[in-house]
Amino acid sequence: MISAPPIAETVAGHAVGPKAAPTLRMRRSWRVFTFFSSAVLLTGLISWLFADLLGRTGWTLSAFILLGLFTVLVLLISVGCMQGVFGFVLRLTGDRRITRLKDYRGQSIQGVGTALVFPIYNEQVPRVCEGLRATYLSLQKTGLLGRFDFYILSDSSEPDKWVEEEQRWIELVKDLDALGRIYYRRRMINEGKKSGNIRDFLSTWGARYRYFVVFDADSVMSGETLVNLVKLMETHPQVGLIQTVPELVNAASLFGRMQQFANRLYAPIFITGLNFWAQGFGNYWGHNAIIRTEPFMQHCDLPQLPGARPFGGQILSHDFVEAALLLKGNWEVWLAYDLEGSYEEAPQTMIENARRDRRWCQGNMQHAMVVWARGLRGISRIHLAMGILGYLASPLWLFFLLTFNWMLWYEANTGLSIITVRPLTPFLKVNATQHALLIFAICMVMLFLPKVLALVDLARDATRRRAFGGIGHAILGATAETAFSTLHAPMQMLWHSQFVAASLLLFGVSWGPQKRTADGITWGEAIRQHWGHTAIGLAWGAAIWHLGHPAFWWFAPVLAGMASSIPVSVLTSRASLGQKVRGLGLFVTPEETAPPPEIAGLRARMAALKESGQTAPRPADAGLADAVLDPYVNAVHVSLLREKGQNPAYAQALADLGVGKPEVRTLCEKLLTEGPEHLRRTEKLLILSDAEVLPWLHRQAWLRPSGTLARWWQEQIRQHAR
Amino acid sequence: MNTSAHSDTPGTLAGRPLEEWNAAYSKVESYFHALRVRNKVLLGQLVALVLERAMQRSASEIQRSATELAVEEMDRLVNEWFAQVLEAPPAGAEMLSTRGRLALLLADMPGKWQDQFLRPGPWPSEFAVKMREMYLRAGPDFQLAKMTPRPLDLGPITTLTQMSRLPYFKMAASWVLFGLLLILLFYLTHHEP
Repeated sequence: MISAPPIAETVAGHAVGPKAAPTLRMRRSWRVFTFFSSAVLLTGLISWLFADLLGRTGWTLSAFILLGLFTVLVLLISVGCMQGVFGFVLRLTGDRRITRLKDYRGQSIQGVGTALVFPIYNEQVPRVCEGLRATYLSLQKTGLLGRFDFYILSDSSEPDKWVEEEQRWIELVKDLDALGRIYYRRRMINEGKKSGNIRDFLSTWGARYRYFVVFDADSVMSGETLVNLVKLMETHPQVGLIQTVPELVNAASLFGRMQQFANRLYAPIFITGLNFWAQGFGNYWGHNAIIRTEPFMQHCDLPQLPGARPFGGQILSHDFVEAALLLKGNWEVWLAYDLEGSYEEAPQTMIENARRDRRWCQGNMQHAMVVWARGLRGISRIHLAMGILGYLASPLWLFFLLTFNWMLWYEANTGLSIITVRPLTPFLKVNATQHALLIFAICMVMLFLPKVLALVDLARDATRRRAFGGIGHAILGATAETAFSTLHAPMQMLWHSQFVAASLLLFGVSWGPQKRTADGITWGEAIRQHWGHTAIGLAWGAAIWHLGHPAFWWFAPVLAGMASSIPVSVLTSRASLGQKVRGLGLFVTPEETAPPPEIAGLRARMAALKESGQTAPRPADAGLADAVLDPYVNAVHVSLLREKGQNPAYAQALADLGVGKPEVRTLCEKLLTEGPEHLRRTEKLLILSDAEVLPWLHRQAWLRPSGTLARWWQEQIRQHAR
Repeated sequence: MNTSAHSDTPGTLAGRPLEEWNAAYSKVESYFHALRVRNKVLLGQLVALVLERAMQRSASEIQRSATELAVEEMDRLVNEWFAQVLEAPPAGAEMLSTRGRLALLLADMPGKWQDQFLRPGPWPSEFAVKMREMYLRAGPDFQLAKMTPRPLDLGPITTLTQMSRLPYFKMAASWVLFGLLLILLFYLTHHEP
């Protein structure tokens, strides 16, 4: 257990960050100006060419709309392209990093307390605990474990998950002999979702720690990286938050392995480019980041936004906003892109990926409100705007394609022949088709140049090259990944357009439980999720074919992605295919070639758990049965509940739930005599929240003659006696 | 098990049919199984100890089943033992039972100390100390603090009226000028005089 003094820099009780020197500010502004101006310049030139093309056939309202949409979309591509180009050049010329290991290597962290927090919500519990174990063991090896405390912060709303979390936690604590080092707390009411969960932790224990590191449910970090992060914070007192760049690991499916490969191959140049203009004004991605507790508590308690959804209410994507608020308070936010040993996992299927995008899209759309907040730094507005445009780009692209189709249809149906005039640019001696092809080619170069540069960057580094299975395999992998992205992008366009519309028009997007086999999603599930995409692709294709064959071939890649969505979704979800292509040396990543000890250990433990059936879904109400019948689970659960009563906020939450009222005993009687299938989820949660009735239930379930208990209990008692 | 005092007619024990005691045996054994007492010799001894106590009550409480008597006796026996090992002040049975079971788990009775369970003292000091000192906490001592959200001034109109104060306004303005210049050039070169 650690107690750290609060940081010293406070003014009238408010944590403030030191203001940057004028020269530093100028340098920062120059970087932002250079980077974005180059993107704007590139956009201007290509838009000029496009306008020229449109001008050759005469200006109409549709042409103006098309030009406007093209300009916005090309600007986004330009920013991405420039990020890749800047990153590549910086890596080539030896980037002057804002952090250097030798600057902080000797920094002591004695007396500095850091909490590692794992906010979870109905997650796969064994994976959470094994990720924590990997991090714990890695920290132990540094000899500085005593400087860190671990917290599993549960917001789970499923009764069975709650009990399972406690069971796995106590097993982990016993295994690691980590009593008083790894803690578990579940909130009674999950107000404010993840940001509320963190706030609750800070309000209860935050004052004990100078820093805290936020993990995701599937995050793992190496002990060395964690220690380096604390040292960095200690060396740079003006920094409020340092975000690491998590490396994707442990993918099994073909989709997951392609995403993982792309992340590991392209991220270095993109992130270096991003860091070029962001510098000390970076962003927060919600996890795998260290945060200075006091300024975070001071500035980052998020207010409710005025008005109704989709823009008003609770801020859903809290991370960008928290970074913006820290920057507003004159604290710096860094991107530690040169620190390795930070890992996370990615969705394994296209459908899971889209499901995650659905959540993020809603949060990013809400930032359209936050972006106007007074006092935010300009760079924070850029981060927020880019997040919004990342999702808005899809409907804009769809609108662009539809507008283009409208123009084709109009021309075909009016019977007017297209008369092209000379282009504006005198040296452009091309006909209209060649002109269009030239623009298309430039756009393709902008899209694919960063990928090519990433391969060149890889080719220059022998160690990395080997870690990717050799440059030949990396080129093949990048080509295959690009081909897949071409098919995936149109589906993303349709999905994101649906999500944006759903967010703005306040209707839900229903997913239902996902039907998976051990090897991936089922064909039935794919048909259920993608029939609309397929139908749109086929209908759209038929319509364009009807308009004219040349136009069809322009649209063929987009239409192919939609029409083939069902088989592509199924096949890319297959773990067996993922393994097969691995055997061919495709999509190999450094963490597959030479797994770091944390990841190797995690994989071995998860494989062992899978082998023993411990990762399989548990039967319904298994957690409730354990909490009542198992003498130890019952004791652990009740002990944790009793402790909650000592915190006034938790005691109030328990009272608000109805704990301690006579109705709970009535529910318990119903549970014993009729079984859990006759209780609602909230009623089971209420029973599990009552520290008085649970020992009584335990006693009654074992004491009462079998005949007086529901048949379900009799079966459960038989199982618990084995 | 000393059954001589209870022996009566054939097929009965302590005045009850053998099947009834068999059911009681199963229930008590089940609970000790749930406590992870896996050693069969120890398990048999413990169940016999409980049934012995239940049989002593059997004659006077004929209206209650053997299973009820046995489970009650088991509960009482375990709680008495918890009170001795934990040196616990008199408290509610349920409170003591919870604390005792938690101590058994944390002291690793199922793994290391099965032979000490329900055995009269003195116990090995390591076991006794572990049982008494182990307790479970969701976190260290609370250090309560208050986070107060600061309102965000979101008025876009207010912001728009103060555009010149916006960071990078000049940079954005230069881009707009660049765009206007492109449009102007385009117009001039496409405009038929």
